[in-house]
Amino acid sequence: MTEQEIYASLSSKFGDQVVEFIEEETLNPTVVVEASAIADICNYIKDTETLQFDSLMNLAGHDPDGESDLNVIYHLHSTELDHYITLKTFTPRDDGSVASVANIYRTADWHEREAYDLFGIKFSGHPDLKRILMEDDWEGFPLKKDYVPAEFYRGMRIEKVK
Amino acid sequence: MGRLHAEEMILNMGPQHPSTHGVLRLKLTTDGEIVSKIEPVIGYLHRSFEKHAENLEYQMVTPFTGRCDYLAAMGSEHGYAMAVEKMMGIELPERVEYLRVVFAELQRIASHLVAVGTFGLDVGAITPFIYCFRERELILDLFEMASGARLLYNYIWIGGLAHDVPPGFVEKTYEFLDAFDKRVAEYNQILTGNKIFIERAADIGVMTPEVAINYGVTGPSLRASGVNIDIRKTQPYSIYDRFDFEIPLGEGLQGTVGDSWDRYYVRVLEMLESAKIIRQALDQLPVEGDVKSAIPKRIRPPKGEVYFRSENPRGELGYYIVSNGKNVPLRVKMRSPAFSNLSVINEIGQGFMISDVIAILGSLDIVLGEIDR
Amino acid sequence: MIQSLANWILSFDILSGLGYSISWGLSLFVVSALIFVFVAVNAIVLVYIERKVSAFMQVRLGPMRVGKFGMLQTVADALKLLQKEDIIPRMADKVLFIIGPWTILIASVVTFAAIPFSETLLAANMNIGLFYVVSISSIVVLGIVMAGWASNNKWSLYGAMRSAAQIISYEIPVGITLISVVAVVGSLNLQTIVQAQAGVGNLFHWIPIPLPNWFIFHSPFLFLAAFIYLIGATAEINRTPFDIPESESELVAGFMTEYSGLRWALFFLSEYANATLVAFLVAIVFLGGWQSPFADYQGAQVALAIMTLTAGMWTAFVKTKVGRLSIYPLGLSLALTLSAWLFPGFAIWLASPGLFWMIMKAATIIFLLMWFRWTFPRLRVDQLMYVSWKVILPISIMNLMGVAVWMWLTGEIQF
Repeated sequence: MTEQEIYASLSSKFGDQVVEFIEEETLNPTVVVEASAIADICNYIKDTETLQFDSLMNLAGHDPDGESDLNVIYHLHSTELDHYITLKTFTPRDDGSVASVANIYRTADWHEREAYDLFGIKFSGHPDLKRILMEDDWEGFPLKKDYVPAEFYRGMRIEKVK
Repeated sequence: MGRLHAEEMILNMGPQHPSTHGVLRLKLTTDGEIVSKIEPVIGYLHRSFEKHAENLEYQMVTPFTGRCDYLAAMGSEHGYAMAVEKMMGIELPERVEYLRVVFAELQRIASHLVAVGTFGLDVGAITPFIYCFRERELILDLFEMASGARLLYNYIWIGGLAHDVPPGFVEKTYEFLDAFDKRVAEYNQILTGNKIFIERAADIGVMTPEVAINYGVTGPSLRASGVNIDIRKTQPYSIYDRFDFEIPLGEGLQGTVGDSWDRYYVRVLEMLESAKIIRQALDQLPVEGDVKSAIPKRIRPPKGEVYFRSENPRGELGYYIVSNGKNVPLRVKMRSPAFSNLSVINEIGQGFMISDVIAILGSLDIVLGEIDR
Repeated sequence: MIQSLANWILSFDILSGLGYSISWGLSLFVVSALIFVFVAVNAIVLVYIERKVSAFMQVRLGPMRVGKFGMLQTVADALKLLQKEDIIPRMADKVLFIIGPWTILIASVVTFAAIPFSETLLAANMNIGLFYVVSISSIVVLGIVMAGWASNNKWSLYGAMRSAAQIISYEIPVGITLISVVAVVGSLNLQTIVQAQAGVGNLFHWIPIPLPNWFIFHSPFLFLAAFIYLIGATAEINRTPFDIPESESELVAGFMTEYSGLRWALFFLSEYANATLVAFLVAIVFLGGWQSPFADYQGAQVALAIMTLTAGMWTAFVKTKVGRLSIYPLGLSLALTLSAWLFPGFAIWLASPGLFWMIMKAATIIFLLMWFRWTFPRLRVDQLMYVSWKVILPISIMNLMGVAVWMWLTGEIQF
């Protein structure tokens, strides 16, 4: 199936929760969806016979400019039917949350923890959402564009970038 | 009769432990020797690759990619270069493509040699490890000849190579390949067919195809479970569609499909396939061609994003790059194969013994540098 | 030996006033000191040899810097270990932590008292020699458990528990195997066991191949018993493929994890002492001990000359990566050959029943142990237990019965 067809299938099934389809400015055509619906959509595209997206290749957090919503990008692949789709969702910078897909794709478990660790994106329904790469008591989320490191970490001075 | 009171014990393996392949920490819940839960704790080697990448120009990121997977630096650089080239739509000279394939496959052999050797080390066989390093040394010599470095090369640049290979390189590579096939037979003699080794590795940590795909396990570990997915074949990049090579799959020769022995043996076979590819690439290598001709003067990919994946020795290496049209990337996310490969250990390692957990960890072939980035 | 030393001291007029008990005590001290020195020097030499053997098996050079061919490397290492800071973990059980390594060392050193190195070189001629050696060497496990428990470290504890299970399991087949030899000799005295293997006979009694009367050639059952003993003993001294108590890649260093400096060196010392002990026991029980493989002394002289000459010629033409290996062995072998012809007494001393053959045999076994170590992977705990209880133990019991039947068939015993 082409990405266009997948988008059509998704928007007919989920209606408003599928926001738009991006083909410009990306080499992986992307379906933008609502954060609350991502788990349902993943369930759907994993189980539907014509889609069978059984592999989540990558899950990435992204902060476009330091002001607008944070993005979460899902790169999916069907090993059976050999087609690809990219899903993108967005969440408010501070108090939003994205539905976790960790129980659908086990890959997402650690990747969501990483997105939480570096961007502070909360994934509701994640079995064990805690920091994975940074120290547990680290302050702030380093990959946010408006991140300002703390002065000290446990008495050690943190050197400023630039 | 009263019941014997027995508690589970939490055993902290690492971050300083001889067999965790770096600074990995495993929290093992053990009942005697049996492990009931494995909780990997990572991040001890976190060097902020992604944060660095957001503050550096595109070409300056290349050396950092090599530092992530330090056992397969050529592969990491290759993947990154191809991702940026795809964004910019750069057409590469033929000679560059062939040389890149040669280096990527040499790196695959070198990386698998470490994997095979350290797996032997994990189950207590010390000598095969040194034999493997003997051959790896020859490959490193070739790398040194070409790039001047032995571990971290910064050789594959966006749009080309740092410089052409010196005269004599091709002949020396042929020499290495001629010797290599016999050397693999040596490993098979000393380790692969060893009865104790088979006892230790067969039927240990069996990974079913469903579990493997669901956990995002890729590379030889996935193919050992009998899943025929190799990005070089399924979504050919660079010029891999021009070569004739097989994808070795796990067959359960000594036990169940997808056990540690299969993961080990798939790597051994893959080395031979890589040698085949290198031979073909060297045979077809164009003599003429400037390896720097396609390197852009200013690297400013157009606004947009790409997710580009390539087959690294450990599995699917993906780069998710977002550009806003400037000379500094907005976001570089590295989807490292070992990160996902390690996450499966709790699933496949439960119920085995401490010694088996070590064997399973060794058979997954992780590099902490790219797990923590 | 103590007895004769005491008599020798008393034979001097000036010392005869010491009295028997004092001179006996003096000799006892001297002999114990000799044994201890032997164990210490032996460990240093064996560590060097092990490094070199492993290096040659692994296409490396091994130690090359300290001394010629790195021969002083282990001496330097030993000195370094002696100077190290003495660390006792704060939460450790101090008393046991200190006693542990000493228990192991003492247990492995005192066993040498009963080992007949030659027809006269023997500290104590005990009528229960074999029993003494086996029982004392099993005290080692106590020390290991002490060390593992006292360290207050989970890795050490695992190592100690594995070790206890392993050594106790393997003691049984090893004991039964040794009993099958005792059944043939009818004595536990190690010297008697060696003397029972004198002379030349047929292989397995009937096959007309003239071979020394060593017990390994006595019957198919004892032939098998020798290998069972070697396997069991390898497990008892914790060497690969049975090194699970200290399995480096799993348990860090097992029961030795928390030890450093001198105490760690004691573990090492006893490890090599145990390996040597096992090698000596195999030589004594199965390979004729200090008996020369050549039945008469004239033959020995010729054989020695031929052997040293060939060895010398061979090394002269072999060029190794190590460098010019040729000169030293060639010179040594020429000197040996010459002296063997010029001084027949020297040849007899060299090749006669005694230290030379004993050490040659033990060295072969030790080389075999090293070969195992640098070739095999390691077994898992349950596989180790499986090998002991379900494979080796039944075979060794069958073997014991087989030996009895064999002796009845060959007419060595009558009912």
